Amino acid sequence: MNSRNTILKKLRATQTPFTDVAPIEQRRNMVPLAETTPDALTQRFIAEAEKIGCRVYAAEDAAAAFERVFALLNGDKQISAWDDAFLPMPEFSETLKTAGIEITASDNGQVRLGITGIDAGLASTGSLIFSSGHGKYRTVSLLPTVYVAIMTTNQIVADFETWVALQKERGLDQFRQSSNTVIISGPSKTADIAQELILGAHGPKEVHIILLP
Amino acid sequence: MVLPERESPVGKKVSFFVTCIMDMIYPDTGMSVVEILEYLGVVVDFPETQTCCGQPGFNSGYRDEAKQVATQFLRAFKDAEVIVTASGSCGAMVRHEYPALFADDPQWSAAANRAAAITWDLTEFIVDGLGITDLKLRLPQPKTFAFHDACHGLRLLKLGGAARTLVNHIENATVMELKDCDVCCGFGGLFSVKMAEVSNAMLTKKIEQINACPAETIITGDVSCLTQMNGGLSRQKSAKRVVHVADVLAEGLKGKRDGDSIK
Amino acid sequence: MEIQSNNFVSLSAIAIRNSEMQKAVSKGTRNGYDKRLAAMFAYGEEHGEAMRQQAAEAKRRALRQLPELLEMAEANMQANGIHVLWALDADEANRQVMDIIKRHEVKRVAKGKSMATEEIGLNHVLETNGIDVVETDLGEYIIQLNHEPPSHIVAPVIHKTKEEIRDIFIEKLNMPPTDDAAEMVAFARKKLRDIFLSADLGVSGGNFIIAETGTLCLVENEANGRMCTTMPRVHVAVVGIEKMVENFEDYATLTQVLPRSSTGQHMTVYTSMINGPKRPGDADGPEHVYVILLDNGRSDIYATKYAEALACIRCGACQNACPVYRSTGGHAYGWVYGGPIGAVLTPLFVGLDKAKPLPQASSLCGSCKQVCPVDIDLPRMLLDLRHDTIQQGLGDTLWNLGIKSWAWGNSSPRLFEMGGMAARLGQGVIGQNLPAPLGEWTKFRDFPSFAPKSFRQLWRERQKAQAQS
Repeated sequence: MNSRNTILKKLRATQTPFTDVAPIEQRRNMVPLAETTPDALTQRFIAEAEKIGCRVYAAEDAAAAFERVFALLNGDKQISAWDDAFLPMPEFSETLKTAGIEITASDNGQVRLGITGIDAGLASTGSLIFSSGHGKYRTVSLLPTVYVAIMTTNQIVADFETWVALQKERGLDQFRQSSNTVIISGPSKTADIAQELILGAHGPKEVHIILLP
Repeated sequence: MVLPERESPVGKKVSFFVTCIMDMIYPDTGMSVVEILEYLGVVVDFPETQTCCGQPGFNSGYRDEAKQVATQFLRAFKDAEVIVTASGSCGAMVRHEYPALFADDPQWSAAANRAAAITWDLTEFIVDGLGITDLKLRLPQPKTFAFHDACHGLRLLKLGGAARTLVNHIENATVMELKDCDVCCGFGGLFSVKMAEVSNAMLTKKIEQINACPAETIITGDVSCLTQMNGGLSRQKSAKRVVHVADVLAEGLKGKRDGDSIK
Repeated sequence: MEIQSNNFVSLSAIAIRNSEMQKAVSKGTRNGYDKRLAAMFAYGEEHGEAMRQQAAEAKRRALRQLPELLEMAEANMQANGIHVLWALDADEANRQVMDIIKRHEVKRVAKGKSMATEEIGLNHVLETNGIDVVETDLGEYIIQLNHEPPSHIVAPVIHKTKEEIRDIFIEKLNMPPTDDAAEMVAFARKKLRDIFLSADLGVSGGNFIIAETGTLCLVENEANGRMCTTMPRVHVAVVGIEKMVENFEDYATLTQVLPRSSTGQHMTVYTSMINGPKRPGDADGPEHVYVILLDNGRSDIYATKYAEALACIRCGACQNACPVYRSTGGHAYGWVYGGPIGAVLTPLFVGLDKAKPLPQASSLCGSCKQVCPVDIDLPRMLLDLRHDTIQQGLGDTLWNLGIKSWAWGNSSPRLFEMGGMAARLGQGVIGQNLPAPLGEWTKFRDFPSFAPKSFRQLWRERQKAQAQS
């Protein structure tokens, strides 16, 4: 018999454990949110993201957002970024190209700054969540030392539980089509050396969030 | 594991379970318990055939031997209406372990369940059972105290608050905080013998906190933990000591002014 | 890894005398303990406790349906493009990894933190086969350099001070001398970035597998986990069969309760949900993803009263809370898992006869259960293991005799009273030091004097006096 069947057979041969465990009557979300109006969620998202070490910039419009991007570029001539279709700014790549900035897929790890959009922001924890796919490169939020997420306030949902419920509504096939979905909560960090918190362990040392209305 | 529900003990006779260590080493503390209960108008009885609850055997894996001893407890307290004890781990043995220990024993199972359902720790008996939070006590001299929460009382019997409530109400008593008051002192019964080095390392940390605590006296509700801590304090030449909460309450009887009454 | 658990008493005595380690472990565990407390109860004690029970129920419900969920997870992972393998024991799992290495002509392996691979001794097997394997979690990297096993489930190098780590980097890697932790991290980052970019295979563990979606879930902070599962051509995850979660909602609960209990974070920096290899048209991600479902004794545990131990989500909270672990560190436990969960899992995995002292290595204070995010009754299991020790005839002869005579002496009030008197007399003769085997006690503490009159004597006198008056 192969190991698969041996294991399953062993598990089935025994009396089922935990048959007496009572189901949870009222499931709770990890973070109880008193206010869930769009404004309250935005405020909460900003506050939580800043608490975990992100810099959040509210940009009134695309022009302000571009201004912020250029400021963060700090003279760099090469960045990595998602494809335009997944960024909430019109003609993103064209605008950068016009300014003499080259966009690469950051698979060599030499680019300092990476820019992505997101699928959703989680207000309860200030987290960013997005799936991978064509034009949504995984390395952009991973290899550079400075990571910039550009998002709109209507992408903010209350919490991870709410996002999960939305996936179920849409049908889980869509979630499963992406090879990878990640929740990012702040800059990469380690406390392995005597609990001293050091940012930028292996991933980005800085996380900047540009928040469009 | 959920502790068995208890009926109100109000108006019932109390059978005192002194526990073996208190019987042989701290009989005066046992007397303090009796004094407090009688002060509250409770009729106290001491079943003289009692020995030990069986915990040392149970905690070291000797369940047959533990049952042998525990049946003596059940015999001794078979007529009890309410059992009061003043040592958290022994109370936890009866309340928490007896039902399962005797679950497959048709002869003793009912008695074990009953014992678990009528046993109280002194302080919770007063506060939760009788509903009294202020005993109208007064110490002859002002004193400062801090609590060490003995583990079994705290986590198995969910005590914690009752002793603090009672001492807080004693006139001339000031209650302060002991850092890490809910961290084990390292006793753990035979653990302190089998793993003496580890037990002592835990005790040393506890003594550091006791020595650093501004309170003169540390109060606890378990005589075995008290023995461990005082044994260490004495060996390390500390002037600080740990006392049982019953002795503090009994001392509060001494300073009472005439006319102060619980009734 | 060689099992040293029967040497717990001597290993712990050494650990207690290692002042550097004491400093490091004491700081690290307190830090973890305090942060957990703040995070779990950030929205009140009642809510935190309710979330703990919600997590506990999710894990137990998953274990109840374990064979079904394994089949469901397998089918869904396969549909997602993941190769699913089953390993009955360590040898089989290691062989499967080696097969994958050969099939894909792997030269270098970048490894993420994984207790399951510690359990099967994967690194040793890979090294023996000439494969270059590098631990990439900073803590794991440090101890790999120093040829040590991890001493804590989530903080593998908790037992070392900054100064000791500095010296390891200088000695093993010629790091330019510095006392600045940030510089040490930057140095390691550079070294390990080269590994991520050149490795052909990434190895990870798995925190959860969502059965209804066939999703492998990982939590981490450093990004080394994302690197290992993104950069190399091939990704292999070695995951215990107990990691199944029934549905997405349960996962949402568990993946948030885990970091709160572990490091006190509300979310880890990276919470990854892996649904397979890169899709057609994807520019990055591994071409092949394998999940090895590891039994290695779990199905045996499943059939015992210790099945609850399989609910463990490896957060390390019980280690941070345990006053024994705080005093001894993790290495004293002599195998992969230290602390209360290790004292339970080790005898179950390797056999009680090879880990006899571990169930005794607890004062039964109950802190471990109190902090456990899935409410595992660890003190209960330690008591049961102690009982098993006696049942299996592994009890110490002297203790067997001692307890027998204790039980005899406490079975009758007359014998009990005589015993008390004998103790009193004995103390008069031999003094305050207790006789063997109790003598260990008075090595460190003064034993109090037996009272001249026992409580029952005082009671009788009092009754007599009251009757007369």
